[in-house]
Amino acid sequence: MRPRGLMAQPTGSRMKFYPLMFTFRDVVSGNGFLAGITISGRALMVYEDEVWWAYGVRPGALAESGASPQEGFLRFRNRYREVLFDVAAESKDFQAFKTEVERFYFEPDHEEETRWADAMQAIRSGDAAPDAPFSSLPRETPESRPSQVTVERLDISARFTASDNIPDLMIAAA
Amino acid sequence: MSASIAFSEIETMLKRCAPGATWRMATHSRVVIFDGKTYRSLPKYDLVELGHVRKMIRYLNINRECAGEFLPL
Repeated sequence: MRPRGLMAQPTGSRMKFYPLMFTFRDVVSGNGFLAGITISGRALMVYEDEVWWAYGVRPGALAESGASPQEGFLRFRNRYREVLFDVAAESKDFQAFKTEVERFYFEPDHEEETRWADAMQAIRSGDAAPDAPFSSLPRETPESRPSQVTVERLDISARFTASDNIPDLMIAAA
Repeated sequence: MSASIAFSEIETMLKRCAPGATWRMATHSRVVIFDGKTYRSLPKYDLVELGHVRKMIRYLNINRECAGEFLPL
């Protein structure tokens, strides 16, 4: 079922590439450890093959599609979580898990980074303006939300607070 | 599901266009390694949407002209 209020295809779209930023926080069980992973990442939303594709920029080795931008993003988010589960299953300890998650996050996709930067520059220069539903997303500059990843070991932490909880965020780069 | 292709055809492309590439099945996805980079999120189903394949080719810097000879990119 298509989420309400979201278009299935672009209507008179003025943009081909939509630069997005996002924040995900996950707790993953591994072999003898519990890890907390928080990423502030980048993705590019593109309408191709009559569906919406979310292409990872950072992390770059990630893609998913959906009938709407929101569905594409939700499936992208789930595929990211599955990568974490795969890494956890293959890691013999926390350090191996942390090393592989950081490698996954930082290994670059130069072409996607260029497409993302060009799309953002087009918005900043006024050559392109996001249309719905992207125009209704919160907007922030990439400078205010640097891309980063943290991988913490939680099962030996003495400090847990509700303020550590972070909702999934999708933000339009501006 | 959008335009898709059989994984067997992707395998053929990898053998011809990405010599030395390896691939294996993880619990949730396929893991493809080529030229020192690891693509961890290729769906494990027999049919794979072309967007996933295009992304993997970009990410792993696989020769696009060669890949286009084997896949409808």
